[in-house]
Amino acid sequence: MKTFLIPASLLVLCVAAASANAAPGTVLRNDKLYSQPSAASKQAGSVAKGASVNILAKQGGWLRVTSGKSTGWIRLLSVRAGAGGLGGAGLGDVVGAATTRSDPSRVVAVAGLRGLNDEDLKQARFNGAELAKLNTWQATPAQARGFAAQAGLKTADVAALPAPQPAQTSSPWGDN
Amino acid sequence: MKLKLMVLAISLVSFSGAAAAFDFGKLLEEGINQELNKGRQTQPARDASQSAAPQPKSKIDAGQLGFALFGDYSPEEETRIGRQIAGNLLGAVPLVRDDKLQRYVNLVGDWVAQQSGRKDITWHFGVLDTEDINAFAAPGGYIFVTKGLYQRLNNEAELAGVLAHEIAHVTLKHHLKVLKQSSLIGALGQAASHKAKDSDQVVQNLIGNGAEIMARGLDKNAEFEADRVGIVFAARAGYDPWGLPDVLQDLAGLPAKDSRTSLLYKTHPHPADRLAALGEAVDGHLDAVQGKDLPGRFYHLR
Repeated sequence: MKTFLIPASLLVLCVAAASANAAPGTVLRNDKLYSQPSAASKQAGSVAKGASVNILAKQGGWLRVTSGKSTGWIRLLSVRAGAGGLGGAGLGDVVGAATTRSDPSRVVAVAGLRGLNDEDLKQARFNGAELAKLNTWQATPAQARGFAAQAGLKTADVAALPAPQPAQTSSPWGDN
Repeated sequence: MKLKLMVLAISLVSFSGAAAAFDFGKLLEEGINQELNKGRQTQPARDASQSAAPQPKSKIDAGQLGFALFGDYSPEEETRIGRQIAGNLLGAVPLVRDDKLQRYVNLVGDWVAQQSGRKDITWHFGVLDTEDINAFAAPGGYIFVTKGLYQRLNNEAELAGVLAHEIAHVTLKHHLKVLKQSSLIGALGQAASHKAKDSDQVVQNLIGNGAEIMARGLDKNAEFEADRVGIVFAARAGYDPWGLPDVLQDLAGLPAKDSRTSLLYKTHPHPADRLAALGEAVDGHLDAVQGKDLPGRFYHLR
């Protein structure tokens, strides 16, 4: 049984590795490709918003991608994974039609599982017993600090990010 | 009842006109105080089962809550509101019965929350027993992640990123702002609300049906802001800041027709839009951050 399981899991790994090699992605904003996962490295090309890329590898905040004849590292946040194109920003209907926000009772059961919906939440009655259960798991700040220290987590001095320019792209996902 | 409707009718009128609201302010405040105090008398043992806060200290003049329609909510009021919303949400979906999991999420969550700068609230974290893929925040530091989302996570940095986004909603008081805008109108429609054991009827009247406020969602810019602020909280806690982006990448790759994400997409911009907005804000600002992702310590849920 064990000897069978090992090749089976290897096969799974190979399949996963192969699909990772060919993972499609879409460029979300005009950006540069670098020769290394660092903005200090040599520029290896550039990609335009909407371009298709193949994602080859990931390292920290960087993805190694091929786009046409260029291969290089691009910022993780400049690419979306998956074959959905620009998604909410561009091809709204491809994905937008499926996750309709007009009719919460319309349950699209692709996964065979029913998600939470408006009605579940609207009808919900206060459950004091569950809330009391929640309280029993609460961590004190000292306990949380100790747990962080166990894993060598140290606070880092990171400045707040600047707020963006007012013009955001409109989204067919609604502005609710 | 008649008085309540009359008070609320006046409040609606005054709400629609800024000048009129000024004139009616005092009258309205008195009326609402009276209403709220009356409501309070029907719920004398509200906090009896709550062991966390000592009863005399947590006692709040219900009138304050009425005033909060016009002023700022105090931390106590915020907690009261959040407690009611959290209790209602738990009425729709229970917590996963796994002490180790829940304790782990609280330890990680509280550490991230300590980087938020808000020290006036007690944070609570819970994993909800549903395959739905989502996370929720209620005022006062009540944060929930669904089992469906938790099971997609690969390491502690991703958990920290998700929790940090929700923590940011709390510290930025996003839901309180929505509540304030809609509370008067909502209260009118809620003249007859459910009564349940331990429920805070005064607050229930403010928040509307059940945990409906959780399904209403926030402005998309509030979501972008929570991503932007949350990623920094996670980085300050010592985590790899790419945890939240990695989760968004994963969600972006999910099939669109998936009932597990329908509520998520009703209340949040598409992950691709969130990645794009976050990318604009982050640019090279986090290049120097070296955090941990701790895959080995991540608690795997079967």
